[in-house]
This record gives sequence, C-alpha cells and structure tokens, in this order.
Amino acid sequence: MSRSQGPSALKRKRLDSQSGSLTEHESKLYDAIRSKTDMGMSLQDLRRETGLQNNLFTKAIKTLQAKQLIKEVKNFENKTRKHYMATEFEPSKEITGGAWYDNGQFDTEFIKVVKRELVKVIYDQENATLAEISQAIRMKNFLTVNLSDQELKQILDALVLDNEVLKVVSTGMGGYKAGKECYKCCKRREPNLASMASIPCGVCPRINQCTPDGIISPTTCEYFKKWLEF
Amino acid sequence: MLVTITRPGLVRLGLCKLPPFISRVSLTEASNQKKKKKKMTVTNSGIQYAVQIITKHFGNLVAKVCETLLKSGPLNLGALIRSTALTPQQVKNSLLILVQHNCVQPFTQESKAGLKVQYMAVYDNILHRLRFAKFLAVVAQELDDDCKQLLAGLLEHGRLTQQQLMDRANQKSKSNSSQVQNAAQDNFIRLVTARFVERCPAPEPLLEEAPEQEGPKKPRSKSAKMAQVSETIEQRVLAAARPMEAIRFLITTNPETDDPSQKSENNSSSMSVGEKRKFDDLDIGEHGSNDKEVILWRANFEQFIRCLRHKACVENVRARHDDGAAVVLRAVLKATRMQETKVKTDYSVPLKMGAIYNEVIDSAAGRNLTKVSVKASLHLLCGAPPVRGGYEDLKKIIELLQNDEVESIVLKRYGQDACRIFRLLTSQSKPAGQFFETDKISVDALVDKKETPKILYKLWKDDYVHMEKLSLTTAKQSQVMVWKVHKSIVWEHVLDEMYHAAYNLVKRYDHEREENKEVTNTPKEKRVGELEKKANRFLGVRKIMALSLVKLDDALMLFHDF
Repeated sequence: MSRSQGPSALKRKRLDSQSGSLTEHESKLYDAIRSKTDMGMSLQDLRRETGLQNNLFTKAIKTLQAKQLIKEVKNFENKTRKHYMATEFEPSKEITGGAWYDNGQFDTEFIKVVKRELVKVIYDQENATLAEISQAIRMKNFLTVNLSDQELKQILDALVLDNEVLKVVSTGMGGYKAGKECYKCCKRREPNLASMASIPCGVCPRINQCTPDGIISPTTCEYFKKWLEF
Repeated sequence: MLVTITRPGLVRLGLCKLPPFISRVSLTEASNQKKKKKKMTVTNSGIQYAVQIITKHFGNLVAKVCETLLKSGPLNLGALIRSTALTPQQVKNSLLILVQHNCVQPFTQESKAGLKVQYMAVYDNILHRLRFAKFLAVVAQELDDDCKQLLAGLLEHGRLTQQQLMDRANQKSKSNSSQVQNAAQDNFIRLVTARFVERCPAPEPLLEEAPEQEGPKKPRSKSAKMAQVSETIEQRVLAAARPMEAIRFLITTNPETDDPSQKSENNSSSMSVGEKRKFDDLDIGEHGSNDKEVILWRANFEQFIRCLRHKACVENVRARHDDGAAVVLRAVLKATRMQETKVKTDYSVPLKMGAIYNEVIDSAAGRNLTKVSVKASLHLLCGAPPVRGGYEDLKKIIELLQNDEVESIVLKRYGQDACRIFRLLTSQSKPAGQFFETDKISVDALVDKKETPKILYKLWKDDYVHMEKLSLTTAKQSQVMVWKVHKSIVWEHVLDEMYHAAYNLVKRYDHEREENKEVTNTPKEKRVGELEKKANRFLGVRKIMALSLVKLDDALMLFHDF
C-alpha cells in the first residue's frame, strides 16, 4: 500500500516565534483559521468571518502560507473549493472523508484490497468475530494505515451487502457465546443467471417505452439483434 | 445531518418523532403507496401476455373475447357481444372453447333483472397453458410415463370424462385389450389420488353477496384490518365453483354418471341455477358437470403449482446449504403435501421427527442418511432444535428467491454499487421499508458520496426506490432527500416488466420465424451454403428463446403463484 496516514490525534506545536511577526490582518486571519483546529475553514467562510478587503485578504493568505503557518487541504465534499487549516493540525474525517478517501478521492482500489484480505481471513477461520478479524488483519501487517474496528465493520457490512460474507448470530454451540455476531463466507455458488437478467428486456433501459408496434419494439430492437447474433 | 425516518406512514406535522428542528414536513404519502386491500390486480402487460397466449392457441376471435373479459371484468353474454362487436354465434363458440379449456368460468349473480349468467376470465389458468410441459414432467417424476400420457390428454382437451380418457388411452396404445383398459384405469386412479386430476367445477355457481357488505361496519383494530384481505370477485367465483373437498377427488364406480345418493351432496347451487336458467345463457350441458350427471375431469393446476413451489424451495436449500438438507426438506414437503390447504402456505405442515426420518429413508437420495444427520439438517432448516419436528419457513425461502431475482436485475442494469444500495434498503424487516438519508446510504453501502445521489436517481426514475424530501430548518434552510424500497410495490413493478419481457420474447420469436420462412420451408438436404448458415442460426435462436421463456416463466411463477 502506498498510502499512509499518521494517527488523527491533534498535534499542537508552539509557533510563537513565527506568529509573533504577523501584521494585524494576518494575525486576525491566522487566529480565525487556528480556532477551527482540525476542521479548518473554506475561503468563503474566512472572508466572511474576518471581513478583510480582497487585496488585504489575499496578501495575508499568501504570507501565512509562505511562513508555513497554514496549509491548504482538500475537502472531499467539494474539491474545487479552497480549504485552509493551521499547519499543526491533521484534517479531521469530516474534511478528508475518512479512511476511504485519499486526497479527496474515493479510494476504490484500497477498499477492494481490504475487502479481499478480509474475505481471505474469514475463509481461513471459517467463522470469525470482528475482534478476531481485526487481530488477524493487524498481524498480517499489509496496511500502512491502522483501520479501527468501526472501519473494519464498515467493510464487513459492505461485504455482507455484496453477498460475499454472511453475518450470523452464534447459538452458543461451536465455541462462541450465544448471541455473538460472527462472519462466515457465503457458500460459493454457480453464478446465478437469473431469468430476467439474462435476456435483453430484463436489463433494457427503454423497456417502459417499448410497445409492440412502436419505434422501440421487440421486432426492431437492437439489443435483441445483438443477443441473437451467433 | 443524518435523519432516519422510522415510521414513514406517520411522518406528518405533529405526529412524527422527528427532531424539533424539522419545522414543516413536506412529505406526502406517495400516490402509489395506496393500501392494497385486494389481491394484486393483473397489469396491462399481464393482460397483453395472456391475450397473446390465447391468440396462439385458439386464434384471434377467441382472443378477442378473452381480452374483453380480462379488461372489463365479468360480463354477461349480451354485454360481451356488444363489447366485442362479434356475432352472437362467434362469441358463444369462443366462450365454449374458453370454458372447455378452463380459461373462463361462468357464474350466476343476482341482479335487478333476476339471476344472470356472467363469464369471468381465469387469468391464472390462461398462463398455466404455457406450463403444460412442466406439469407433465412433474407427473413423470412423481408417478410414471403412463400417467404422464394420460394427463397429456386432459391438458390437450381441457376436460374429459373418465370414459373419454380411457378411449384415448386405447387409441394411443392401438389396442383394446382389457389389460390396457385396466392399466389406464389404474393410472387414472393414481392421478386422482395424487390430486393431479380433479373434478371440474360447477358450471354456473351462484355467487352470494360479499360478506362485508352485510350489516353496519364495526370498528376493527389495525391488525384485524390488515389481516382481513377482502377477496376479489375472481377468488369468490372460483371458491363457489370448486366442488366440496369430499367429492373433488372422488371416483365413482359408474364413471359416466353421478351416484344418485351423492347427487344431493353436489353443489346445490348448480341445481337451482339449472332450474332458473335464462334463454340467453350458453348451453354448456356437455361441457360441465350439471343436472345431466356427466362427471368431467381436468388437471388440478393448484397441485402442480404446489409441487413446483416445493421444488423451487428444495433447490434453493440445496444451493444455500447442502444436499442433505434438500433431501430432508423434500421428504417433509412430500409427506405433508396433501395437508396443505393453500398453495402460498407460509410454513410447512408440522411433522413428527419419526415420520420425517421414515420419509427420508424411504427416498432414494436419503436412504443412507442417519437420524443424527437428519436432525442436524432440520436444525439448519427450522433454526431451532427440532423436538417434535419443526416448521420450515417456506415464505422466507420464496422471499430469498424473489430477492435474488430482483437484485440480479438491479446488478445487471445499474451495477455493483447500485445493487449494494438496493440490498441495504431492502434489508429492513418491514415490508414497507424504512427511509434512509442519502449520506447514510453512502456510508453504510460504502459508495462514493458523489456517486450515491446519481445511482439513487437512476433507481428512482425506474421505480425501484421511493424518494421523499424533508425540509430542515436549522441555521440554514436545506432539503434532505430520504429513500426507501417499498417491496410489494417494487415486486409488482418487476412482475409487470416480466410479463412485458415474456410477451416480447414470443413476439420476437414469431418475427424470427417469419424472417426465416425460406429456411424452414426448404428440406434439410437442400440447405447448403448461405441457407445452411441461416438454418443453423435459426436453430440456435429457437433454442435460446425457448430456454429463456421457460426460465422467465419460472420467475413469473415465483412472483405471481408462489
């Protein structure tokens, strides 16, 4: 994994020496940004809060950035808007999007890898609780980030929705306490070529407009034509 | 801001349990969430498909009469003649054919002008016409090929007397020996005993007034209201026409006529109808069991559908668990089949452990199973230690099959993320679903926040999800969209699309056959070069379309009959 994230705990450093040389406007701006700790502030909100004129505001932002007192971070909800934060803070999950977003982008590849590893762990253990899965993943040590139990549960729930994994409740027989939530792999089945999904009409986006003698009809349908090409 | 609406039906100002900052709830109950008190009605696509079947089997005239009855509901002869604009003789002949083949059921109803005979299309029986091959396969498996041949006669002709069946069997065997006669008689008895064949219903039963119309309405509790689903007219007519259980599968010693001592047990309504018959009724004396004392027999579609439903449940259990569990379930269902009072039963009839075990080891596949393994399988199926046998939740199995079918459509049409979202929304135990806010869907289904609204919009546009908007009055006014899947509505929509798809398959096949007329009319040995290519292609087309229709019909049964 190329992606690494340090812990999201707040890290404060005393930067009095640098902040002491700021002008009144720069100080006002810096205090406003710093007050939002790990949430930061967008450009629009900063302008509104500080009430500074455009040219003074722009100059102050550039100065603070040059002095490395503030940094620009990507808000995953709105990548086009500029978002600023004091350098000593790590952006919170509300800004980054959490473990599943990298630089504002939804990290599909990372999620795929984690899913694959979780399925392997469950398959090896046959039945496993969240704690056991979490332990096994940590021991594998293939991730550069630490995923919390809650984040692992999110992936497991997604696997349940993908029909790859089954969530069951222990009956008390088989080594687990009764009522304990466990996960097991779904039985590998033949791919289900369900009736409706295996014919053109089943997946047709135009079925509502299809009529026997209309412009879109079974006799003129291009999807049918392709389906019947041998 | 995450909002989960738990009681959508009551989300109105003052009644909901929403946080206080939601000042004005702009929700309205969607127009398509009307409380359905009657059985699912047949959709336009369903009617179109049924008419297509009748057209193929009996021609345009008969199909016209059938279509009118399906669209307008029950009509008397006069109204039917006027509506179809056909001659009276054409309408009468069409009705005779439809009644003969159990696609129309006449009945009598009290009106201002006295007792009038009306004709009602039996939608289910029309669709069953495409399932005859499946029904024959059931009999071949449960009984044998000889019984299958006998049943084929009944399916071909709609209804026959016992003598006509015997005569047909003699004709087929090209011999008239008593051995053949006796064998045919035995096979007939086996078919009736297994309830694959039944006595035909009463020709013109009297339909009584609907019970809820009598007397003043009493205030009922909510649960009582929901439990009581008023029957449709179709259900009431079929119930009135059905012979009593005691005589429905009764074979008399004199096959042609009723025993006079049993005559009084017959449906007495048919006796009074015979006395008061009006001049414009069909004379269906030859075609129904009436005062001319002719017993007619027909295939019992209900039993076949029951067998196919059991088969679907067994196969699902085999796929989800193992062969052992499938064998046990099959044995339980076979042993209790005769005790089921309706096809869509929620649970299997309870059976003692000993009886289950005996039934299992009686079957070829279960011969080597031990009591311990049978118990383990039952535990798997029933979800509880089976002390005195258990209840297999058949309704749950059917629901799983239905979920699989719909989810595969969503997966193929909209992709993996959409399928995950759909499964999230349908995973709630309540049939009416539960509302989820967009962000919560994105988090729980692990889908990109930007993509989630796009996917939901596509599903909403095609009626797979229901959407409502909430207005929030916080620091800044905003609107929140909430989504849910109302299963019964979506299932009805999917069934309608299936009817449409089945109609299209048949229509397209007819078109292909027309296009390849030249090929099919050319003898095999003369099909060379381009013609041979076309012929091979057409063979492939025929195969794939026939197979697809068979599979699609399984799905239609899953949503309509099971």
